[in-house]
Amino acid sequence: MGADLQGRRRRANLQGQHVGFNKKSFCRRLFQQGAGFSIIDRMSLPILSLKGIYKSFGGVKALVDVSLDLVPGEVVALVGDNGAGKSTLVKIMAGVLRPDQGKYFFEGSESVVHGPAEASAMGVQTVYQDLALCNNLDAVQNLFLGREVTGPWWNGFRISRAECEKRAKGVLKRMRLDSISLNRHVGAMSGGQRQNIAIARSILWEPKVVLLDEPTAALSHAAAEQVGILVRELAGHGMAVLVISHDIHNFVLENSDRIEVLRLGRNQASFSSSEATGEQVVNSMVGGQKSRNLSG
Amino acid sequence: MTLVLFFATQSDVFLTSRNLNNLLIQSTVTGIIALGLVFVLLVGEIDLSVAAISGVASVLMAMLVVDSELPIPLAIAVGVAAGVAIGAVSGRWITLLGVPSFVVTLGVGLVLNGVQLIILPNTGRYNLLNTGVEKLASTNVSGFTAWLLVMAGIALFALARATSTRARFRAGLPASMAGGVVVPVAVVAALLIATLMFLENLRGLPMPVILFISLLGVMSYISSETRFGLYLYAIGNNAEAARRAGIKVERIKIMAFAIAGGMAAFGGILSASRILGVSVSSGGGVGGGALLLESIAAAVIGGVSLFGGRGHVVGALFGALIIATVSNGLNLMGVANEARLIVTGLLLVIAVSIDRGIERIAAPGR
Repeated sequence: MGADLQGRRRRANLQGQHVGFNKKSFCRRLFQQGAGFSIIDRMSLPILSLKGIYKSFGGVKALVDVSLDLVPGEVVALVGDNGAGKSTLVKIMAGVLRPDQGKYFFEGSESVVHGPAEASAMGVQTVYQDLALCNNLDAVQNLFLGREVTGPWWNGFRISRAECEKRAKGVLKRMRLDSISLNRHVGAMSGGQRQNIAIARSILWEPKVVLLDEPTAALSHAAAEQVGILVRELAGHGMAVLVISHDIHNFVLENSDRIEVLRLGRNQASFSSSEATGEQVVNSMVGGQKSRNLSG
Repeated sequence: MTLVLFFATQSDVFLTSRNLNNLLIQSTVTGIIALGLVFVLLVGEIDLSVAAISGVASVLMAMLVVDSELPIPLAIAVGVAAGVAIGAVSGRWITLLGVPSFVVTLGVGLVLNGVQLIILPNTGRYNLLNTGVEKLASTNVSGFTAWLLVMAGIALFALARATSTRARFRAGLPASMAGGVVVPVAVVAALLIATLMFLENLRGLPMPVILFISLLGVMSYISSETRFGLYLYAIGNNAEAARRAGIKVERIKIMAFAIAGGMAAFGGILSASRILGVSVSSGGGVGGGALLLESIAAAVIGGVSLFGGRGHVVGALFGALIIATVSNGLNLMGVANEARLIVTGLLLVIAVSIDRGIERIAAPGR
């Protein structure tokens, strides 16, 4: 596992060269990479790449020259104190917000995303903190909401419940979530199960990028562990995953490959999860001198 | 059930098929209006103009028949279309400006009351006796045709159940012939055949009852089998989630209001046909009166939540029957009008309280 993580990190840390060269972040990564830099096994291009993003709300600068790359098969944890700009960054990636300045690359080409629907059509799915589930519908109905499979017109415009259920079963099985009962109302489920359904819904149409906003915020330790397994599973299926989380020690270090720290709307530091300690990450989140030196 | 037993012990007329026939017909107008209202309630809105719509549509229809001498089916179609249009306009207004539906439809209702008075001639009423419109309510279907209708209804229901169960078997999902097809079809068949046999003793199936049950079947299908129906429930529970799932929330809401308007108009026309004319008091009079309250009460007593997202269109049938039973039973017992109002009012309050209780148990802390 350790070697694998390192390989992923290397791939992740090198894409600066391929899609728009950002001197600042590249140099920072070079520093951080140290001696391991020369050993390049495979190179994977980032699927989604943000360069020099600025965003302000009125007079408040939410993001200042932020860059971020997401690579297929890698879990990136986005951490930072409250108001560091994490959610704003995710909303930009999800197409909810447009950056004031900066470039959005998807699969190597620059794109302008006009709305969440466009982002999800491109293959960027977002699971928001509030999950956006309908409590009065069951798991299958929630998974397919807005994208139900319907038969031909002579079937009377009916939703093909059987078809939906079959496909839902397939996806849940692949994600090892077959313990979820498909016919129960989501409102009657536990927080962990609801979170899993929200994630499963985002991957139903095989996206390339999955963004998760605070998936473990309201979960018990055991349920958070389940979500962690699921997150790694997604990356294992070749998706690029971004997770916002506050739970550095139990969740971020365990389940991510790379940790990107935002502070006051700027890129503060980048760590390899296998090498960083919780203390280093937390220090850099709050702007401690130590970590700043460490990360260049 | 308890109500039926209670009234049966209190009055020996109550259980006669003539009275039950009356009771069924009495419940159809309220039931049809409530049926449309269910769609609006499911998305978490309310329409207080349904009674006024029913009044205006019936007066419009009467005017077209009496003054313009339009063919009756066309006049009825225009009346229903007017109802649909009014509902759609209210819905558009509500979704466009985000104004509470409570206020908009209250205002629209008063506007329509005014329009109704303008359309009516100076005599204040249109007489519909011997125009042919009265046949809509007074026709009875009996004998072979009645059996054919009932069998066709059962066959359609069985077909719907059978195809979905077959699809489950084909998809390799757990399904059972008994639970998926046999039992539901047997229950529906028993209910329909019992109704038929009961009313057959008299004059056959009254047209209003046939229309109500057919509409009930169609609306039940729409709400439980189609995307539109599912979206009603989704929006009623979590409109924001529905919007993020790509559902056109505004459009679905407008359609719900349009359906409520159309059904209200049809209910009004049926009522006009039954009482052989339209007047100032069509549509419950100014403000909607008892007709409006009973329609809302029917939906709510039938288990449709005022908070949106919960309930079934069949609730309109049960609610309307319960209200008609109470009013009919108390009438037969010789209870005065004021006591009837009090009982109906209390029933509504209790029903909404139970609704709120269910909501609390289902989702504590929300």
